[in-house]
Amino acid sequence: MKENLNKALEKPGISVWQKVKKANNRGDFASVFMLAPAVILLIVVSVYPFIWVFRYVCYEYNGITSYFTGTHNLVRAFHDLTFWKSVVHTFEYAGLKIVFIIPFALLMAVFMKQKITGSELFRGIYFMPTIISAAISSMVFAFIFASYNGILNAVLRFAGLIDKNVNWLGDTKTAMWVVLIVAIWGGFGNYMIYFMSGLSSISDDVYESARIDGANGIQTFFRITLPLLSPMLKVILMLAITGAFKDYEAIMVLTQGGPNNRTQVMFLYIYQLIFGSQTGSSPQIGYATVLSLIASLIVGLVTAIYLFVSRKLDNVV
Amino acid sequence: MKRRIGSIVLTVVLAVMLTACGAANTGTANTGSADAGSANTGTADTGTSATATPVASASEDNTAAEPVIVEVWSNNRHDETYMTEMVDAFNASHTDVQISYTIMTDDWQNSIQLAFQAGTAPDVITISASDGMKLNDYVTSGMFESLSDYIAADTAFQEVTEVYDHMYEGLNSIDDAIYWAANGVRSGTRIEYNTELVSVAGYTEIPDTLEGVVQLTKEVTALGDGVTYGVGFTSSGPFGRWLEGVGEMSGYTHRGYDYTTGTYDFSSWAPLLETAAQFYTDGSVLPGSETQGVDNSRALFAQGSFAVWGNASQEAGVFTEQFPTTFEWGVSELPTMSGEVAGALSITPNFGFTMLSSAEDKDAAWQIISYFSSEEFLKGYFEGGYSAPLSSYMAGKIDSSKVGRLADFAIQDYEDVYPSTPSVTVEGDEYPTVFWNVIMGNISAEDAIADLNTRYNDALARGLANGSCTRLVIEDFDPLHPSSGTCTYLSE
Repeated sequence: MKENLNKALEKPGISVWQKVKKANNRGDFASVFMLAPAVILLIVVSVYPFIWVFRYVCYEYNGITSYFTGTHNLVRAFHDLTFWKSVVHTFEYAGLKIVFIIPFALLMAVFMKQKITGSELFRGIYFMPTIISAAISSMVFAFIFASYNGILNAVLRFAGLIDKNVNWLGDTKTAMWVVLIVAIWGGFGNYMIYFMSGLSSISDDVYESARIDGANGIQTFFRITLPLLSPMLKVILMLAITGAFKDYEAIMVLTQGGPNNRTQVMFLYIYQLIFGSQTGSSPQIGYATVLSLIASLIVGLVTAIYLFVSRKLDNVV
Repeated sequence: MKRRIGSIVLTVVLAVMLTACGAANTGTANTGSADAGSANTGTADTGTSATATPVASASEDNTAAEPVIVEVWSNNRHDETYMTEMVDAFNASHTDVQISYTIMTDDWQNSIQLAFQAGTAPDVITISASDGMKLNDYVTSGMFESLSDYIAADTAFQEVTEVYDHMYEGLNSIDDAIYWAANGVRSGTRIEYNTELVSVAGYTEIPDTLEGVVQLTKEVTALGDGVTYGVGFTSSGPFGRWLEGVGEMSGYTHRGYDYTTGTYDFSSWAPLLETAAQFYTDGSVLPGSETQGVDNSRALFAQGSFAVWGNASQEAGVFTEQFPTTFEWGVSELPTMSGEVAGALSITPNFGFTMLSSAEDKDAAWQIISYFSSEEFLKGYFEGGYSAPLSSYMAGKIDSSKVGRLADFAIQDYEDVYPSTPSVTVEGDEYPTVFWNVIMGNISAEDAIADLNTRYNDALARGLANGSCTRLVIEDFDPLHPSSGTCTYLSE
């Protein structure tokens, strides 16, 4: 038996010890040791929790006790209007955010690339929202958009643009726009830095050639900058899409998904189910688990579609 | 080769450092072991604030027996000064048992559950009916320890708390087992009002009907010229602040539950919702106040932006210390729909202590619970205005001249504790959210009530089927004295 095993392990003429030595010389063990902490952490904080949630798919679980409910959570998910409305709102929010934030960030990156006095200072200012906690900046915006004594209403009244205070956060017609403004403000600096990094990789010689050929600023942007930036743009767009679909912190502070669920997005709804709402409702961890799996599938599907489309576009362009 | 060995060593060192960073707090706070002191520090390191720590330490006297450390967690910040003072006094006068007191106000229930599952739970925690902790869940999971035997043996505790007169099924007791005894009580909601704004509108007191209050707020708003308004709300439970109390006093079903039939029926609430919706249609509400946090709205009331605010007895401290008003503010009983009181206003037993089953020295833990419920301790607590006494014994012991504005929130004859409604898991928005949407004009009262009746009764049926709840029926239910009925629990 032992001999058979040794035979199976050993290549003709190479003993196990020699194999180990060879692997050591190749640096295999060092690689394993170096990868180990990261892999262990990944398993503990990411893979294990992901598998853990599957346990409660068929349970009603409030964090203390669980009750078997069979397929009820899944059936409920397909009939839950609030959730599917939140999916629609997520697409609306993510779509509008990307439509505004990416061109704006690109434009600002191009401006920042110019050697204008003070551009470095502005670059820092524009990037600052990225490093400020979303909770804190959202609180500041809540004061700005406050209906009764908010700064925005005061300014608009002073300018004679409105007669009556606008209930920015409490009106279903305006709440989503406010949330979007805060999201764009908070995110564009980050994408601007990505674009600037992409722009810095474009050689000045290309621009110089274009200038000699008589290209103006707009032509240079569309014929030189944009095509050469496209590999970076693809990555930035993918990050923006996945990020926008997962956003919920600012919305939680500003509107808690209201008014009347108008700003309710997928992951905020899931958060509220997991941790219970302010009205003292019990956590519904089992059901939230099912929804989070569906939400992950939706985000994954959107990303896959984007990658597929962008690859096709590469072939066309 | 040297580089490779170096990189392996570096990796191992980093891994060890990571492990060391995440080392669990293995010091057991309740065993009185030599590392008990470090265990207290460990608790503070979790980001909570340890406001009082034991004075004794292992190094002081190696020959004496180590004190038992009882870990107590509280979710009350408002009484921090008094609690710290009394804990320090206890620790200074006891060498055998010491209290380690920690305040943890955020994410209270999750913190307790996670600590229990991780084996780092405290021995004793504060508990109030308003915490929303469903007793049945905590008992079923084995987290809470029954205090019945300890109470039976402690006559002083029985006398001070009158615990046997204040057993509320599903709230602090299940069958005959008592899990916590309420020392205090939070009054039902009241209306707090700006006397100046109200008197300018020609009123000397708050009307006794909701319709009258709607009219009052309309008149205050009309005179306010866009600067001051009639009423203000908050984003944090706007319906439950006081409008729910109006419904209870009007004899509507408590939390939508019909105790006589053991089913949910929200139908009676329709007139209240339609009347309250007039606050918005009349434009009497401070614009955007329903999007403000509770403290923001309190601050706006305190600066005189609106006339009518509603909340329970905690506002006594809020408007005298936290947000002192620049005007005279009055406290009024809630209006009803007809002007007559037809049902009990719900009051909330609070400031109790419960023992977790993981407590290693349960006798020591009980000693601390008993101390927190002693006359010596509670007299100062109530005279400090931190809560109102639940027992008539303590009510007779305190000097009411010392309680300040809390006197305005004295418990009325029509206030009572409702038996806990079944612990159901409702799909979709709960009734306070739905009711608020009706008041805001987003949906009709009729549609909302039909939807709530269906969803709540479905949830009850599901709970009965999977055993997560029981149907409570009180055939002799008296809306004015809800705690006096005979409870029957049915499993179907």
